[in-house]
Amino acid sequence: MGWMLLILVLFWTVMLIILPQLYMFDLSFHPNLPPPEMGGPKDHHTLENYKYLVFGAPGNEDGYNKVDLLVFVRTLIAAAFVTVIDLMLCYPIAYFLGQTKGGGFIRILVLLLIIPYWINEILRAFAFRIIFGDSGVINEFLILFSVIDSPIDFIRANVALYAGLGYAYILLMIFPMYNVIESLDRNQIEAARDMGASWVTIHRRVVIPYAKPGIASGCTMVFMLSAGALAAPQILGGPSSLWFTQLVYQWFNTGSNWTQASSYAIVLLGACLVIVLTVMRLFKVNMGDIGK
Amino acid sequence: MRDQPLLIRIGMSLYLLMFFTYLLGPLVLMGITAFNSASFPQISPWEIFSFEWFSKLFADDRILEGLKNSLYVGFFTVILSVSMGLAGALILTQIWPKLRATYYTLIIAPILVPGVVIGISTLVFWAEINRILGLSPDSFLANGIFLTVLGQSTFIASYCMLVFVARLQRYDIGLTEAALDLGASHLQAFRKIQLPFLFPAMASSAVLAFLASFENYNTSIFTHQKFATLTIILSQKVRYGIDPSISALAFIIVCLTVFFALLNEVRTRRAQLAVANGAPVGAVTSGFKAPSFFAGNPAAVVFALFVAGVVATVAISQVYDPEPAKSVLLKEKRAAQELRIQALQQRLKDKRLQKKMKGPDIFNEEKVGAKPKSPGAKTFGNVFAPNNLEDAAGSAKDKNGLKSKSPGVNTFGNVFAPTNLEDAAGSKKKDAPKE
Amino acid sequence: MSSGVSVDLQDMWIKFGDFVAVREANVNIKGGDFFSFLGPSGCGKTTILRAVSGFLEPSDGNILIGGENMIGKGPNERPTALIFQNLALFPLMKVWENIAFSMEVRGASAGERRKRADELLDMIALSDQGDKLPSELSGGQKQRVAIARALCAEPDVLLLDEPLSALDLKLRQHMRTELREIQKRVGITFIYITHDQGEALTMSDSVAVMKAGIIDQIADGKSIYDDPSTAFVASFVGENNCFRGKISKIIDGQAVIDSNRTGALRGRIATGAQGKLSVGDDAMMFIRPEGLSLTDKEASDTRIMAEVHHSEFEGQSYNVFLEGTEGKEMKMALTNRGEAQLFDAGSNLKISFDANQAVIVPVGELASE
Repeated sequence: MGWMLLILVLFWTVMLIILPQLYMFDLSFHPNLPPPEMGGPKDHHTLENYKYLVFGAPGNEDGYNKVDLLVFVRTLIAAAFVTVIDLMLCYPIAYFLGQTKGGGFIRILVLLLIIPYWINEILRAFAFRIIFGDSGVINEFLILFSVIDSPIDFIRANVALYAGLGYAYILLMIFPMYNVIESLDRNQIEAARDMGASWVTIHRRVVIPYAKPGIASGCTMVFMLSAGALAAPQILGGPSSLWFTQLVYQWFNTGSNWTQASSYAIVLLGACLVIVLTVMRLFKVNMGDIGK
Repeated sequence: MRDQPLLIRIGMSLYLLMFFTYLLGPLVLMGITAFNSASFPQISPWEIFSFEWFSKLFADDRILEGLKNSLYVGFFTVILSVSMGLAGALILTQIWPKLRATYYTLIIAPILVPGVVIGISTLVFWAEINRILGLSPDSFLANGIFLTVLGQSTFIASYCMLVFVARLQRYDIGLTEAALDLGASHLQAFRKIQLPFLFPAMASSAVLAFLASFENYNTSIFTHQKFATLTIILSQKVRYGIDPSISALAFIIVCLTVFFALLNEVRTRRAQLAVANGAPVGAVTSGFKAPSFFAGNPAAVVFALFVAGVVATVAISQVYDPEPAKSVLLKEKRAAQELRIQALQQRLKDKRLQKKMKGPDIFNEEKVGAKPKSPGAKTFGNVFAPNNLEDAAGSAKDKNGLKSKSPGVNTFGNVFAPTNLEDAAGSKKKDAPKE
Repeated sequence: MSSGVSVDLQDMWIKFGDFVAVREANVNIKGGDFFSFLGPSGCGKTTILRAVSGFLEPSDGNILIGGENMIGKGPNERPTALIFQNLALFPLMKVWENIAFSMEVRGASAGERRKRADELLDMIALSDQGDKLPSELSGGQKQRVAIARALCAEPDVLLLDEPLSALDLKLRQHMRTELREIQKRVGITFIYITHDQGEALTMSDSVAVMKAGIIDQIADGKSIYDDPSTAFVASFVGENNCFRGKISKIIDGQAVIDSNRTGALRGRIATGAQGKLSVGDDAMMFIRPEGLSLTDKEASDTRIMAEVHHSEFEGQSYNVFLEGTEGKEMKMALTNRGEAQLFDAGSNLKISFDANQAVIVPVGELASE
């Protein structure tokens, strides 16, 4: 029995978690070679893949790979933006659900929260296309009431993308916060109010500090998942705005350049980890609080 | 919340309403488009209430193939991730305390690693293993199902692990010790005491794992090779042109989700109520009595209504035949087209005439011709094309056709609703004094 | 059932890192005895029990059960059964399945198990409760099920880890009698852990009093109460008044201690302290509240003068609290004979005691309240 557990855990940690990441890390420092030449004389460690991301193709006149770098930075900023939007949207809901005394109504609301989460990511994005498309619900509606004459291109304006991304991970923001706030003793809030604290003060001094692990957990998840999203940008993204994961996918799929794709994936992973760990350090939250 | 200022309460209610509209609106709209016969998923203009997209969905080989692959992947992913998650959680309780934090970080990390990264790393790593072992490029290790299962399990096992850890935290290690003390071997103590305690967690983590696997895209897109899962097929369809059969699929998935979510809710709630009332546990699982089933259990009411709704919809789909209405619509469309052609010819004629003299009605006709789909087209057909009288009658039929669904709904209402309503009312009455 | 098997701890040490949980324990428990370990929480008594049952290995020394060394054997290989503090009934099994669990793991058939479980259910007077779940039983019933489950394993030694601590007072007192009866009926060795001296004294053949990993005294209940070996035992078991002073004389097992406050006082040197005290040593003398009485005697070495702080009426006795020694009030318990015996604060009383009821031990740490 014991050895079976050990084998399973070793397989998981070593063969699925550690070695693939390490191998991909190593691969990202290799030139892209056809399989027969792998391990051959042309196979050596090189920084070419990373140089490409920063400086572009050799002989690039700009000096920097502006397109890819821009996509990279924009992805991170947009993911942060989505995270903040989700946080602001969800905090009142999490507070309301967490502090209202039970009953079937709250349970039904929680259930309603869960349902969208189990609908396929693609279908959720698809729903937003139906809504925001040229002949989508919103445009039809606006035209029907003569607010506008010709459809607004929500896709190109990235409205659809942000709405879709925010929607996709909203649950991962609510639930960690809800779980923590639910365990907050109501008396603390009442005591604070009794002492004359305003609602703003109560939230700033009592609720938010208490909910910090939940907030950090939610933000971490939403940020990582948004930055790493692929389906929503593919379906809802405007033609001119790529997501960094789409670059990875292109290198991998269209370009069949695994080593280049690996280097981009490593950069994405590294950037996300650095940001998340920094935020966790700043807010003094532990790894153990994530995923509760 | 009761003693808050009215303003805050109203604001909160509005906010809740908006929030849940944002959350559920898209799904509802998508579901509705599944019943519109228009070839693009849309609500307006509404053409005809129709089930044709469902038939089209069930006839779509690629979707069925994707579904099959998804089920395969889901099955193996559930097995692998539940067992790895369980093993991971058990080892966490056993591991040397100094290693625990590191170990925990390691097994929770896959949740935080972007799916694309896991996908790529799984693929390149196993391709390398395949190469080192000297296997052919289409060997088992390079099989799309195998790779997808591994890739997905890498992080889904972490979810499962969290479920098990939460459950294990409530486990009294004294129970295992008691079993050992009574002569059980470690294996027996685990199998007879700890494992049964973990059964509920196994069930919920299996469901979690299956759902996560079923909807996974980011990882599978890199690992699937020839075995595209349903999600991947869907993404291809959505990217290269969307049609309402996807809405139909979404509608089915939403219904299934709602069904199981409500079912689960009803059962937990019932168990809770029974325990709260001090009933012996045996009574919870036995006997289905309608009044007590609904008592204090709004979820049960919703659940019953929902099931009735689905049954009714399916029943209607068997009885309801959109064909007449549809052929009418088709004819109408054709008529509109004809008219447009006529108008065009007329215009050409007019133009020819115009060269000689000015025609006054050109713009009118042009406008009309350009809007064949709009409801206005019908009136236009009647007025401007007396030879299309039949169509005019048809369009009246069309109206009937559209209406024909409402009698259906009424029947459903008569058949299913009254009992429900009574039950609902009854349960509410019972609820009232409690709350 | 087996007729009692002895348990011996030989020079047993248990350490957790630098922390010594049990120091050099030497205990010989006779077969068929009801033996208690008594001490405040954190004194190491549960650690000893876990070592006997096999959940942890002593750092040094031996554990013998029936003369056989148990070192290296797991809990499932020892002829012991442990009743856990929280009982640890298996929540998902029915009561009878819980009781017959030890047979289940040995591969007994369901019929055999049920039969044996029913016998034991009869014994604990829960005959028709076998098909319930533990959660449906009351506290006292659970208690008895835990005992039946342990007995079903037919252990040579039954270990009980504060099993009554979760019960309310009345039930606790009832269960004391019941436990003692069960022990007499089955005749096996019971080792009982408690911090409640009442439990230890009423039930046990022998009591070991522990503090901070050290066993201070092993004796029957009467000796523990009347003849404590150390200051700790004297102050932990029952109430006691402590007087501290220098030994000025030792005659015939009696000694006189001098202190500035009370003058010379004469008492008996504790059996466990004999030979450990000599003239000039610091020593402590303990007199129970009920060992003090009012007197008219002239000054002597069995008489104390003290000022009344306050007094209270407690039904069968009057408690008089007097200006005390060692930072504590001195308490005198006078039996209620129907005469008013409440004294005004500030009045001076002459108090005498019997030198044989005043026990002298070496200076040591007192039990905290």
